[in-house]
This record gives sequence, structure tokens and C-alpha cells, in this order.
Amino acid sequence: MSPYRDHVQAALEGDRTFAGLYAVASRGPVRVAFARIDGTIDVETVEVMDGAAPSIVDIVPAAGWDEREAHDLYGIRFDGHEPLRPLVHHDLDLASWTVAVQGRDAYQVAVGPIHAGVIESGHFRFHLVGEKILHVDARLFHKHRGLERAAEGAELDDGIRYVARACAACAVTNGVAYAQAVEQLLGYRAGTELARARTVLLELERVWSHLNDISAVCAGTGLAAGAQRFAGLTERGRRLNAEITGHRFLFGSVSVRGSRLTLDERAIRAVQRELAELRAQATSGWRELLFNRSFQDRLPGVGVVRSRDARRLGATGPAARASGIEEDARTASPDLGYDAFVPAVQNRALGDAQGRLEQRHLELEQSFELLEALLDRPLAPSAAENGGAARQLGASRVESPRGATLCVVERDGDRVARVHLRTGSYANWPVVAHAAAGNMLPDFPLINKSFELCYACADR
Amino acid sequence: MLTLLRDLRRLRRAIALERPDRGRSLAVRHVDAGSCNGCEHELILVSSPYTDLQRFGIGIVASPRHADVLLVTGPVTTRMREPLLVAYAAMPEPRLVAALGDCALGCNVLGMGDELVGPVEALLSVDARIPGCPPSPDTIAAALLELLDSHA
Repeated sequence: MSPYRDHVQAALEGDRTFAGLYAVASRGPVRVAFARIDGTIDVETVEVMDGAAPSIVDIVPAAGWDEREAHDLYGIRFDGHEPLRPLVHHDLDLASWTVAVQGRDAYQVAVGPIHAGVIESGHFRFHLVGEKILHVDARLFHKHRGLERAAEGAELDDGIRYVARACAACAVTNGVAYAQAVEQLLGYRAGTELARARTVLLELERVWSHLNDISAVCAGTGLAAGAQRFAGLTERGRRLNAEITGHRFLFGSVSVRGSRLTLDERAIRAVQRELAELRAQATSGWRELLFNRSFQDRLPGVGVVRSRDARRLGATGPAARASGIEEDARTASPDLGYDAFVPAVQNRALGDAQGRLEQRHLELEQSFELLEALLDRPLAPSAAENGGAARQLGASRVESPRGATLCVVERDGDRVARVHLRTGSYANWPVVAHAAAGNMLPDFPLINKSFELCYACADR
Repeated sequence: MLTLLRDLRRLRRAIALERPDRGRSLAVRHVDAGSCNGCEHELILVSSPYTDLQRFGIGIVASPRHADVLLVTGPVTTRMREPLLVAYAAMPEPRLVAALGDCALGCNVLGMGDELVGPVEALLSVDARIPGCPPSPDTIAAALLELLDSHA
């Protein structure tokens, strides 16, 4: 064992969890991030010798994609990661990026990158016998725009654009994670009012996103009436966003070292009224879904992820909680307004499509309650407070509608030297492939929708 | 189920969308060529009860072989160049191309030059431009209706 691997082993046996790994430059070093229970992120440096670093993928299977990405984008080899399959690079040689599945009647089905509905681009290679999925190789990164590299050299306050625009569905989460990372390296901290403004935006993002996900699961089972009902509510959620911030996806509402979000007494009352109405409608729509037998019959036992596998593969967010993992980055966000927050967990955490849908409903209720409490008084512009020591590197983790999102920012003076974004979707993609194995191919759209991950912020 | 349908009927009555005066149709195939997912999320809601573009005979079809319009989002990444051209080649003629969103139009694109080959008009001749970051469902609907009126 190398000292690095021993160290990783010890960190995981203590109270820390793996949060991400990335290469700083093509000669290295590599950084590995761990999250502590209190929300502190430890970012540690791994030296690269002759273009290689020891792999930790056998200790932390969740680091599999991170090492493959660092290899493709920065050419770093990871000793012990065999075979080191391409992830971002689209090698035309099928054998290089798929796991060989052989045997009588085994065959492959190639799906994507262009899909039949309005879906982001990504390719799935299914290995099947009959209609049973034996294994799936996901080849994403069709949407890789090089956003992290593009952000290098930007002024620290301006770099937020690259991270927030990585994904419309996680724009607030990514923005807050970036803002907090930069504030940390500049020695700033959010006060109560700034924390409150950001938490309002994060929960508004969760509301429309979870409404959209419920609609998507209805669509995945062919229940058009349910899909339409919740699509209508998603539209109302986005209109509310536009009313509050001027943008349906809350773009531009998060900034470094401050917030311009303003809601006077009258606006607060109007927002509270609309949220109460949206909540009542969502509750009544949900009740209808519960009583719909043919819909409910499609969900149990589909795309099961057991708790042990969820942990091993690094699942996060509603998908992890539906498998019984009681973790939520909101319990460890001291600079946000989540005091005394307790993650929602189900009594029967079976980790199937039904569980992941139910989890959205529970969290939606929670978000409505949080918003009601947060919006009990007007919101005025606020600024972060200066006080701490400046640092070279800042790191922050924020819970998106799809799980914990890590943002690390390294500085060169007052400019971005390197920024790395590891979103909840990125962490969960390998879990989707795991969930699909053993199921019928026609159930894959439903399994995929029960996770409803973004491709955009995984690909960047 | 009956309650679900009743609620939807009530909602539609409350929104009271105008009835179509057109007797034509347009089949649309969407291709995501590297968007941030915002255009997709808005395009999905073009079918919500608030916009209901289907009432004009405009719908998203599963294959480019059935499509009149190729609706492209995103700044066109190097990795989506080929699939985009393959989808276009699969369409029957006459065929139209619409660029959806600022990225597809080459405005304010944030990525690295070496990862992108866009905008869409660098690869295909564009018949309709739908600006916005992202354009709202109503904006998308209005642009597609205009395309229908000017070409059908």
C-alpha cells in the first residue's frame, strides 16, 4: 500500500466520505476531496510521478469516473485501475469502452445519443439476453463543452457564470457551491440574511425540479394525465421563479459575496399565496397518483438499488435516501439556512422506482415547509462578511435536487486557476447503470426517469 | 383517474387557450447538440396545459425520418456534430432547420473553442431562429407557428 492509499482507507474508516477527485493540470497534481459530517471539505494533494498516481478505485468504487475523467482530460494514469476505460473521450473501438458480455444469445442494443423524446444527448449500450438487461455501458459527455477549462483565467467573481450555466436544472446549486468556495478562499462568510436568500433560491429550484421529476415518472409509465397534471405545476413553479427573480430558471440570481434578491412585504405575501396554492395542487395531484392502481403497479421492484450498493457506488440525493442512506448535504451547510434540518427518509427504503418517486414527494413537502418558514419576513439585498484568512483553494458542497454537488476553486491571484464541479448527477450516473441490470429493456426509460439526472452538468 | 382528468379539464377551462384556426401540421424532431438542458426543459413544457402546442398540429416525433423540422439546441459540440448531421440526412425533403436558444445561435457561448463546432448555421442552413436563454414555452410555440405559417 502507498501512503496515499493508506490515508484514503483511514479517512473512510473515520467519519469522512469521498467527495471527488480531479487533476489540476496535465503534469498533476491530483486532488482528492473528502466531506466531514459538519460539512467541512478536506481537499488533499496526491503527487503524480512519471504521469501516474496510485488508483483508489478498489477502495472507493465511487471514484471510478473521476479517475477515468482525469485520465482522458489530463493524461494521468492511475496505477491499479485496470482497464482504465475512456469516459470523456469517444473512442470508436467498442471494446475499449464497453464491458465484454459473451455467451449464447447475448446481444447488444445501441440507444442514443439522440433519443425519441425531448431528452438530452447521451449514448447507452445495452447488453441483453432476450429482453433482460445484463449490463449497461453509458457513454455520456456528448455535451462536453470544456466549461472548467473555459473558466480558467476568469475573475473570481465572474467564474460563477461557467459553473451556473453548466446546467439549467442545477443553476442555483452550482452557483451557490461556487460562490461559497470563492468566499472561503477570499476569507468571506455569508451572514444570516445572505444565507436565507440563497436557501430560498435553492428550495425554489428543488420545488420545480421535483414537480418535473414526478411528471417525468408519469410519462415513463405512460400515464399522460399524471404527466400533464405535474407539467402544469412545473410551469407554475417556473412562472413563480420568474416573478421572484426575473428568470424562469433563476439564472443570474446567485452571485459571489452578496445577494440582490429583494422581496418586500407585498411580494412576500404574493409568493406565500402562490406557494400555498402550488402545494395544495401538488398534494391533490399526488393523492390521485396514489389511487391510480395501474400506475402504482408499474413501480415496485423496478430498478432496485440496495443500500450497500448505493453506498459503494457513491449514490447521493433522493436516489440514495430512497435506498435508506440518511445523508443530505443540507444537514452540513452551516452557511445556509438549514438549521435543525433532518433528511426525509422512508420507513420502507427499498431503493426501487416507487421509492425514488415517493422520496420526491416527501422532499417536496419539506421544501414547501422550508420556504414557508424562510419567507416569514421581507428579503433585502445583503453582502457576505469579511473576516477570515484568505486561502489558495476553496471547496463547498451543496445539496442539489439530485444530490450533493461539490465545487472546488483554486486561485491565481484574483483569477480562477482551476475550477472543478462534481454534481449530484455525475455521482449518480454509475448507479443508474447498476439499477438497470437485471431489469427488462422496456423498463429502462422508467428507471432512468426515476433518477432524472442531468447530462449537461455531468458532461460540462 | 377521473379526478385527475377532471382537474385537468378545469385547468384547461381556466387557462382558456385560443382554438386553432389552422388545418395543417408540423412534425418536429429535437436534437440536443450540447445545451445546458434549459431549452429541453422549456421545450417539454410546450406540451403542458399552459401552452399545448399540439392543438395546432405541431408535435415532437420520435424519428427524424418522420420530421419536417429539425429543432437544434446547444452550441454544437464536437461530439454531437456527427449525430446531428446523421439526423439531418435521415429527414425526408423538404426539410427545415430551427435553431433553438442563444447557444444554438452562437450568442454568449461559454465553452472552449476546441470542444465546439457551432453555431448550428455553421453546419446547416437555418430557417428559423428562436433566441432566448432559454426561450420560454410561449416563445418557442410562437416561433414554430410562424414557421408553420410561412412554409406549409
